[in-house]
Amino acid sequence: MFRKPIDLAGAAAFVAVMAALPLVFTGNYLIGVLTVSVIYGIWAVTWDFMSGLTGRENFGHSLFIGVGAYTAGFMNTSFGLPGWWSLPAAMAMATLFALAIGLPTLRLKGPYFALAMLSGAAIMQRLMLIFWEHTGGEEGINGLVPLIRSQLGFYYFALAALVAITALLLALARSRWGLVLRAIRGDEAACQASGINATFYKIAALVISAAFAGVGGAMYAHYQLQVSPQLFAVVTSITIITMVYVGGMASIYGPVGGAILLVLLTELLRNFGEWRLMIYSCTLILILFFLPNGLIAPAWRRLKAAMGRGE
Amino acid sequence: MLEILIVGAVSSAIYAMLAVGFTLIFGVARILNLAHGTFYALGAYGAYFFTSHLKLPLLAAALLAVGLVALFGIAVERVLIRPMRKSQLATLMITLAVALVVEQVLFLTFGSEYRNVPAFVDAKFTIGGVDVGGARLLALGVGVALIAALWLFIQRTRLGSAILAISQDPVAAQYMGIPSERIFAVVMGISAALAAAAGVLAGPFLTVQPTMWLLPIVKAFAIVVVGGLGSIPGSIVAALMLGYAETIVGYLVSSSWTEIVSVLATLLTLVLRPAGIFGRRAAF
Repeated sequence: MFRKPIDLAGAAAFVAVMAALPLVFTGNYLIGVLTVSVIYGIWAVTWDFMSGLTGRENFGHSLFIGVGAYTAGFMNTSFGLPGWWSLPAAMAMATLFALAIGLPTLRLKGPYFALAMLSGAAIMQRLMLIFWEHTGGEEGINGLVPLIRSQLGFYYFALAALVAITALLLALARSRWGLVLRAIRGDEAACQASGINATFYKIAALVISAAFAGVGGAMYAHYQLQVSPQLFAVVTSITIITMVYVGGMASIYGPVGGAILLVLLTELLRNFGEWRLMIYSCTLILILFFLPNGLIAPAWRRLKAAMGRGE
Repeated sequence: MLEILIVGAVSSAIYAMLAVGFTLIFGVARILNLAHGTFYALGAYGAYFFTSHLKLPLLAAALLAVGLVALFGIAVERVLIRPMRKSQLATLMITLAVALVVEQVLFLTFGSEYRNVPAFVDAKFTIGGVDVGGARLLALGVGVALIAALWLFIQRTRLGSAILAISQDPVAAQYMGIPSERIFAVVMGISAALAAAAGVLAGPFLTVQPTMWLLPIVKAFAIVVVGGLGSIPGSIVAALMLGYAETIVGYLVSSSWTEIVSVLATLLTLVLRPAGIFGRRAAF
């Protein structure tokens, strides 16, 4: 999975820093910010697995997040099931939505998938408002039970989930599977000519990505203790895409860093509250123009190269 | 029955104005413009701002808004889209980012509450026992007139044939000495102006708020998929189908379900006939 020991060392150092941060700087505020950043990390890494590798951009990742979160909300409040049931249920529901959109659109060339995801998320947000009797409308669903009582405990659980999901997706991305997905981005026709069922691989990648994004959504719901239609908003998807672009597309580990960096940075810019989304959108435009390879993954590669020369 | 006929015609006309511009810029320049709904929102906000803050007469405000949005569209094409055009994904990203930046600008300047765009006609008309607002009838009339004018422009003028030529074969058109870059800017301006006009006309009876760009994009996408990406006659027919289908669902089932029609239509078309009812490329 790790090509070089230095990658393993880097990953271990990252996990150690993330785990040590709340012990060094105590306080629930920091734990909250870190928890949110870790959950965004899960969303960014799942987005990158599908869209970064295959090059099929998903403009509605918030669809899977929202579906996961609302599944958790319904399971936990309407049916009164214990919180842990939410995670597999959210996974299953997100998978269903991924199939419903992926099956018709991913077999086609062209921009259909990107636009169908955007439409799907926008319509789901509308439906949550229209059927307010069942979904709570603008208020959403309140009164979810936390998964783990202690805030620090939940943070470690989320961090463990992030590490596990990232490790799994990295392993997949560096296996034959990932090679096929990258090949699809390079030349889909050539893939099909060499007997690879490109459509199957694309849909499978979307399902994997959606399932874990749904789990992230359910975790977020159990962290916020409520869900709202805002989860489906386009800005959620764009925030995630910006994180991936900052981290470096198709590197899988880069987006995790991008997510954590951006969440922490925007916490520092808290005073600019209303300007936050504006900053995200402008960052995205600037990155697209000036740093198309992102920031974090190239920086890590350069660091490795520099250390290699020093040895 | 007559009510369905009239209400459906009004929403079809607005959908058609949106979808024709969306499909035109795709058919000619291969630009999938996610900022298309933004032009619509800017048209409505422009009319609101010029009438209520600058106290301009409505007609002047409307024309100014449409003109400025057309210039804005050309500027977006020139500065942001043109360097990115080789990659369709980068185009999608950059136009979506533009849409969000504009949404934020509108939110920061005007706030999130609904704004009122004044109507050209406040009177209500009774047609066969059905009350229809004058603003809606005007939207229908102007929408039909604008699309007819666009059709005449493309069919009868030199510039129009250049647009048509590029949409049929961009490489051959370039060999004939057609300046495609300049044509793209013109088409972007036309497409933005149509969307802005739809915003000005629909403003009085639809909600005007910063996130209003999103649903029109969803509808325009559905229409363009059903009609065939890049085909203008297809998008007009599909706009009629969607406008009437939503109205009928609204009357017979419940207005809650109208939003699902467009997504269902998109997915069904992609499963059954991915090229859309009018095939892939027929421009006009």
